[in-house]
Amino acid sequence: MPIRHASGVYWRALAAHVRSVIEYPADLWIMATAGAVWNVLQFAFLAVLFANVPHIEGWGFHEMLMLSGLLSIAGGANALCFDGAWNTGSMVIKGDIDYRITRPAPVILQVGSSHIGLQSFGELALGFAMLVYGWIGAGVGMAWIPVGALAIVCAALIQTALVTAFCAVNFWIKSPMSIFAFLLIQLQGGAMKLPLGVFPAAVRVVALFIVPVAFINVVPVAVFTGHMTAWWLVGVPLAAVAAVALAAGVYRLGLRAYDSAGH
Amino acid sequence: MTHALAVDRALVVIAFKRRLAYKSGWIFGLALGGGSMLISLTMWQNLLGDGSLNGYDWASMRAYTIIGFIAATMVFGAADYQIADRILDGHIAVDMTKPVDFQRARAAEYIGSMISTAPTAALGVLGAWLLFDPPGPVTPTAGLLTALSFVLLFPLAFGITYLSVLVCFWTKRYLGIMWLREALLSFFSGLMIPLAFMPGWLQAAAWALPFPHFTTTPSAIYLGRVDTAGALGLIAAEAAWVVGLWYAGRLVFRFAVRKVTVHGG
Repeated sequence: MPIRHASGVYWRALAAHVRSVIEYPADLWIMATAGAVWNVLQFAFLAVLFANVPHIEGWGFHEMLMLSGLLSIAGGANALCFDGAWNTGSMVIKGDIDYRITRPAPVILQVGSSHIGLQSFGELALGFAMLVYGWIGAGVGMAWIPVGALAIVCAALIQTALVTAFCAVNFWIKSPMSIFAFLLIQLQGGAMKLPLGVFPAAVRVVALFIVPVAFINVVPVAVFTGHMTAWWLVGVPLAAVAAVALAAGVYRLGLRAYDSAGH
Repeated sequence: MTHALAVDRALVVIAFKRRLAYKSGWIFGLALGGGSMLISLTMWQNLLGDGSLNGYDWASMRAYTIIGFIAATMVFGAADYQIADRILDGHIAVDMTKPVDFQRARAAEYIGSMISTAPTAALGVLGAWLLFDPPGPVTPTAGLLTALSFVLLFPLAFGITYLSVLVCFWTKRYLGIMWLREALLSFFSGLMIPLAFMPGWLQAAAWALPFPHFTTTPSAIYLGRVDTAGALGLIAAEAAWVVGLWYAGRLVFRFAVRKVTVHGG
């Protein structure tokens, strides 16, 4: 199927959803505020913590702010562009995947574009603010900006792909809730806002090589701030490619296992 | 037992059984809460080492984090969605025809669902106790008063949740409201970081809200950061919030219920 056609379907579906959500301004504002408040409180947490301690495992306030900022941007991009993946479980249970299979566009794109997480507006705005503030405060040079832009794109791709892959588990484990994806983002949200050095070796190996969440924010920020050598940056696009391939593969296998809701 | 109490008990039991039917929820809650607790403990162990910060050393922080885990399991594991759904899908129109007080019935269901988090909390605490061996309560009286502050968390959590859920009368979805409430609760309760680390003005802002009673109050009593009189004062404040939020819920509901529209006719 031509990529242009699939891309056209994806963007039209997303645009249609945008038109529908702005019909409900109260929901739009509450969700955007929720996304922003989470990030403001994350900033407050770091500010309070670093008013009491000079560093964590050699990482200072601005460096930790960059970690939180990049993670928020990745989460916000996921919620803005592919939030529908969270509907996979309920679509499988209700048999709603049937409609998607019969349409001339990739199922994964149709499902991904079936919803927009309105919190993404707050997450992206505050995420960028934290990243830029941390970037300037940590003294990361302007020369890193092109690499930073690439890191942001890769972070969004890895986050989206991993969440989608974990949501696709619901093809086999029937549940309206994407428990595994939820678990992933909750634990990632707690652990990946800290330097990898505070964790035992087993956790570091999992975060780098098994479920490569560390390449979303920890590795790029560690390289920018001199905590890791620049060679680690090679892993960022590689992790993005691997995560996207994993998501596409798991979703394809899931569709093969899909047997509709039955009547 | 009066009729109203019998209805309350029946709703508590039904909500409790409904939640227990989904045993995967226990494992999920344990993985989620236990994982968050381990991350938090890892960070504090790294920061505290053999020293202390704002009166918290590694031993007291272990107890503090476990107390936070219990509170979080109780409040985040409760069935707030079921109240919201009744408003969003219009079931409330049917509820209004029943000879049962809406708020009281939802309170019974909510508390029943909170009780169902007990296995998750118990397993998590047992695991944490075996792994981290936290100190016990500073005195037996402190232990009893800590338990009492936890008991008051049931109606307090309902009061906050119910007030926030009533916003659904004006919205089409509940998710954003829930996130907003959970974000504020996580920060101002001291779950993310103890209030003692915050500057004075932020501590004052937190204590002007009901949230500190979810972690700071029980842990302060348990660790002996307040004496018996102070503990009783904190529990009295907690009880006052329970009563205040109950009547605030009644007031807002009376106004909000005018928004109910029923499809068809």
